[in-house]
Amino acid sequence: MAAATKLLKKSLVGISQIQQYRNIAKSAISASNGHRNELFNQERRRQQDAVGRLEKIEVRYLGLPEDVTLVMNNNISTPFNCAQHLSEGHCKRSALALIDGSVPWDMHRPLQESCTLQLLNFNVSDPHLVNKAFWRTCSFMLGAALQRVFKQEANLQLHSFPGPNIKSGSFVHDIVLGVQNWEPTKAEMRAISAEMVKLAAQDLCIERLEVDLDLATEMFKDLRYKSEQIPSIAQQHQNRVTLYRLGDHIDISRGPMVASTRFLGKCTVLAAHKLANEGASDAFYRVQGVALPAGFALNHFAYGLLEQRAQKLNPARLPNEPFEEQRQMQLS
Amino acid sequence: MLRTVLSDLARLRLNGSVCSVTQVREKGHLNRPRLRNPYWFIRQQRSQTDDQVTGENRSFIKEVIHDTYGTPALIKGVQTYEQKQLIKTNELPVPTEPWTPAVRRCGVIARKIGQYPLWLKNGERIRTTLLQVVDNHVIKYIPPEEYKPTQRPNVHNLNRYGCVLVGAESTNPAQLTKEYCGIFRDSGVMPTKNLARFIVSPQAALAPGTPLNVGHFRVGEFVDVRGKTVYHGFQGVVKRHGFKGMPASHGVTKTHRRPGNIGGGGEKGRVWPGTKLPGHMGNRWRISKGLRIWRINTKYNVMWVQGSAVPGSTNGLVYIYDTILPLRKPQAALPMPTLYEQPEDEAPDDIWYEQVHNFKDESITYKPE
Repeated sequence: MAAATKLLKKSLVGISQIQQYRNIAKSAISASNGHRNELFNQERRRQQDAVGRLEKIEVRYLGLPEDVTLVMNNNISTPFNCAQHLSEGHCKRSALALIDGSVPWDMHRPLQESCTLQLLNFNVSDPHLVNKAFWRTCSFMLGAALQRVFKQEANLQLHSFPGPNIKSGSFVHDIVLGVQNWEPTKAEMRAISAEMVKLAAQDLCIERLEVDLDLATEMFKDLRYKSEQIPSIAQQHQNRVTLYRLGDHIDISRGPMVASTRFLGKCTVLAAHKLANEGASDAFYRVQGVALPAGFALNHFAYGLLEQRAQKLNPARLPNEPFEEQRQMQLS
Repeated sequence: MLRTVLSDLARLRLNGSVCSVTQVREKGHLNRPRLRNPYWFIRQQRSQTDDQVTGENRSFIKEVIHDTYGTPALIKGVQTYEQKQLIKTNELPVPTEPWTPAVRRCGVIARKIGQYPLWLKNGERIRTTLLQVVDNHVIKYIPPEEYKPTQRPNVHNLNRYGCVLVGAESTNPAQLTKEYCGIFRDSGVMPTKNLARFIVSPQAALAPGTPLNVGHFRVGEFVDVRGKTVYHGFQGVVKRHGFKGMPASHGVTKTHRRPGNIGGGGEKGRVWPGTKLPGHMGNRWRISKGLRIWRINTKYNVMWVQGSAVPGSTNGLVYIYDTILPLRKPQAALPMPTLYEQPEDEAPDDIWYEQVHNFKDESITYKPE
């Protein structure tokens, strides 16, 4: 019990805003994380410079207020830039872009060819794509929040997060902690939820970058579990690894994320189920939560039902079981 | 006029602290009307936003509420829910202490539903007001050691008494705030629209979840009924204080319903504080004391109390207590701490006071001389 309460940082209430963020900055950006961000920035600049001569593409925007054709720059312009041509409301409300009616696309990812573009928000008639992106972003943000919230002594290592399954009732992030008997208290869960809400308030842009296998290995060489996962991920995606960055937190993920953290509305992190022991002193934990997009009001009773559902162990694939075997079991 | 002024002087309370709330007509000072609850009170109703929930999910949430608390049902004439979470046992709780005149019991929350005449066996017709006890359940009991309210009720030696929190009229928890529903969480009672506290002796403590019915009181005994008076707005002295006014004719100029003279002269030549003048009338909490219960109906939880002096309009909330009037205290023992109703009880639906004529009996007949 004593070990458990020492894991989370003391609440930063009473310290001024600036000091708070300085504290977070100091403790969160360790040397390796700084190096990772440096490499990320360098690669992004290199990719931007590598575009060369500007080529124009025609982007046919379909939607409100009217269908228009926009002439944008190939490999530079993003759906967000298209929204800027339309209005500020489009920029603020659009969470995800839809290319050619079927391909979900990040708002800040450069367009690669002439296409039709639709800007999706959470109120469209068929929101399943933007919902999945939202769920995935919640898992990603949960990883960032856990990094900020745990102390050094906890020896937190983020493992991965499985693909989004909204019907399961919770979004998930699997972690490895340096204690084997952590039973999270309500106060600790509330602290993690508060950190998620803080991230949302900061309105951090979620950037996407595709890197090749070597650079990815270099960036994540200090993180054990990521280094183990990178080769198999790269194998499935033609030696390319997709990275997403949120503030100073970088993680690997396949699919599209929503444009910014401000789309997170009501959020509660509810449970951390212990999955298995890892080695002599570590253990796998599955941290689960539930969230609503910003702007959706729900009464406390209904939200309470969602919370109850999210507390149950999510049946998504477990981190400690080999992925290939899991796939074979599923196929058979 | 001078005599009333002198009596006012005698009764003037010059201490600024919380004085006893008297209803004596010639009160020497004005009550500061407390029109709003303190800011620290928990908000009850949540702001009704349009929850963007599909129709399917709306019916699912309703289903969950019915599964948790019970289906909506008409219990004792009141539309409420079954209260599934409350354990209904066949064994009666063992009564710990017998009733004594010094014991202060819990009260009930009721609604004034109308007025009706009753006839006594001597032929006298009396006016009665019907009060229906609406779905009362005990929410919490706070023992005397823990009960330290910020707004102290006007009770002598308050530190000897505990507090029973009673709720009336269960409602859909989705329409209330989460903090308000938190009050009911531990008791297992469905959140209610109305809450009241009753100051009780520790011997009369009640367990959370206990239902309170009209059988808590006995016919023939006396009750005090507290309610909010009908709002009349800004009224003149004739209606407000019962002044006689002036004649309508015979040369009376421009003065028919005015107060007339409002003060004397001399050294203290000024208008005295507390002088009866026009002003806001009604919408105040008042207690009608010493009303006799003539009849009780256990099937619909209704009691008939004496007279038409129950404050408030029809369907208004009232709070019923055992009377504090010393000459109308109960003669026989009262149910302590309350009457635990059992379904197998063959208690009669209607309980009439001995003096009251039961409609189903034979009419009163007179023998010819």
